[in-house]
Amino acid sequence: MITPRPLVAATAVALALVALAGCAAEPEPTAAPVDDVSDGHGEITTAAEVEEPPLALVSVDDDGRVGMLDLLSGESEDLGPDGAPTGLASDGRYVFVTTADGVDIVDSARWSWNHGDHFHYYIGSPEMPGTVPGSGIATATWGMLSTDGSTAMHFAGSGEAVLLENEALAEGEIVERFRVDVDADAVVAPLGDGAVISEADALEVYDAEGRQTEQSVSCTDAAGAITTVVGLAIGCAEGAVLVTGDEDEAEFSVIRYPDDVDAERAVAFDGRKGRPTVAGLTDASGFWLLDTREETWTHVATEHTLVHVTAVDDEAGHVVALDTDGRVRVYAAATGEEIAATDVLVGAPDAATSLTVDGQRAYLNDPAAAVVHEIDYADGARIARTLDTPTSPAFLSEVGR
Amino acid sequence: MRPWRPLALAAAPLAALGLAGCTSSSTDDEPQVVVTTNILGDVVTEIAGDEAHVTTLMKPNADPHSFEISAQEAATLDDADLLVSNGLGLEEGLQQHLDRATEAGAAMVIVGDEINVLDYSSGDASGTPDPHFWTDPARMVDVVEAVEAALGAVDGVDPVVVEENAEAYLDELDALDAEMTSAFAAIPASQRALVTNHHVFGYLADRFDFEVVGAVIPGGTTLAAPSAADLRDLAAAIETAGVPTLFAESSQPDRLVQVLASEVGIDVDVVELFTESLTEPGEGADTYLAMMRENTARISEGLTR
Repeated sequence: MITPRPLVAATAVALALVALAGCAAEPEPTAAPVDDVSDGHGEITTAAEVEEPPLALVSVDDDGRVGMLDLLSGESEDLGPDGAPTGLASDGRYVFVTTADGVDIVDSARWSWNHGDHFHYYIGSPEMPGTVPGSGIATATWGMLSTDGSTAMHFAGSGEAVLLENEALAEGEIVERFRVDVDADAVVAPLGDGAVISEADALEVYDAEGRQTEQSVSCTDAAGAITTVVGLAIGCAEGAVLVTGDEDEAEFSVIRYPDDVDAERAVAFDGRKGRPTVAGLTDASGFWLLDTREETWTHVATEHTLVHVTAVDDEAGHVVALDTDGRVRVYAAATGEEIAATDVLVGAPDAATSLTVDGQRAYLNDPAAAVVHEIDYADGARIARTLDTPTSPAFLSEVGR
Repeated sequence: MRPWRPLALAAAPLAALGLAGCTSSSTDDEPQVVVTTNILGDVVTEIAGDEAHVTTLMKPNADPHSFEISAQEAATLDDADLLVSNGLGLEEGLQQHLDRATEAGAAMVIVGDEINVLDYSSGDASGTPDPHFWTDPARMVDVVEAVEAALGAVDGVDPVVVEENAEAYLDELDALDAEMTSAFAAIPASQRALVTNHHVFGYLADRFDFEVVGAVIPGGTTLAAPSAADLRDLAAAIETAGVPTLFAESSQPDRLVQVLASEVGIDVDVVELFTESLTEPGEGADTYLAMMRENTARISEGLTR
């Protein structure tokens, strides 16, 4: 569309709505008659559509101060205090910050919506909807749409699975569809309005009320889950289970590891949002590429042991990784060849170091130096920019994706 | 002569929507036509003239794929004497309402059923039907004829007047078609390529023999710190097509022009086209005919500069 979207006006409306929402328990007034029939498809009264992904970095410092840096304009803002962080994950819009009390959610109010033949991009006013209580290491998993379906959380300490309603979250409210007791090492992932939860050597489908359905498939030692544009993929010892459909009618497809490759299994998955192929991290050197559309595995042997690996799944098939020495390495999916590497960028990469990719760049935080490296993975892993975030990037994620 | 009144009529549905919540409309006894997209809304308004009240659900400068309607508008849709929609999956935000109307047996014109449908020729959606038929004015002729027949059959509508209105609008479409044909014929065949990130010009390309070269336009983070490698694919597309203008939606078109010049030595203009929505009055594409003429002018100027 050629005419600039009414960004300023819509933002003002959003602010007005937010301001009003705080003083009345009544339903929010609506500025435009578009919300009664919301099917969760991206468009929200309080957000404006923009022409390109509204990319930003959300940083959280050791004290829990949250900041956001707009990667296009360079403007930054403080989003306020939060609990002291021990972990962080993001679906590209919401940032899930693990603290001693559970998971604090930051809504960056920036997101992209893959529409098949094109994308839509939205920007609204950031909010801090609150905390999902739980204890221990928290793992969040999500679907393709931040405005519809569900977000799942697993707390290793309290042994709980929690399923959040995305439509409510998009409006600043934490609504738990259900909370059930599960294994301390369970994998929990959203499927439609329900979830898939691992138990013993099987994956069980739960409905939106947290009741276990009859639908089940075997999966030995489940570890790692990711939703691609094709469906939900969960890692198992024998391969990956691809789950499509919804909680009422789930379809399982088992993608077995090839018999002729002797390599460690994948234990975690990462990839550019909305693509079919993801990278699988192993506990040794080498990584897997899982193409959920073609339902194939490809193993790539590497000289170095990796702490992060993520598939861009662009035309050139870039795969971006961080090794244990703190160098970013870029591989070509088709040949498995290492095509570029940076100098050492991070002293001792650990769980606080994050690596995110979008269609053009990769972002890596260096907590010690309090900077973020913007890496052009398609151009010899050149450092395009070194960015200062508004709060020190002890933990980081890229949003607007 | 066709009375000239598009502006007044375009404003009427908006006013009606604004009032819908407070008073019942004074047009209760008039035949009611509800149209989904504003491009179709403009065309249907021309055909209906004073014979029916036309409500267009999609606002100016909106997105046909994702716009949604209020409960009041949904009720208008349910009570319509005739419903006109694009179909082919375009109005996703309205699908439940359109399905309900279909089940209720409402009188409907679904454009996808009236035209020769093309599939997307490339990209992730390749092979699926392309709903953006309006970039070919000849397809709009089929739509006008279908709407004329359906509207003429509505109780309280004078089919003779509707036929006159339709004939007058078909004359306008003929004139538009002739202008586009002659403007594009003046572009050398070798230059007839749209290097673009717009995804709606498949029908125009098919009809007027353009090649659509899909291009990924570098985003703001790339333009902030670019290198030649970042621009390699786009530069190759421009050079292969051999055209002096890129038809693209970019949030920083001037910066893109500057970066293409400095990093890869390519001198191109970046021009946006109107794609999926009419604009507010005076913004360049407030009617279907104005939108098509403006795009035609931008394409011909861009490719012959």
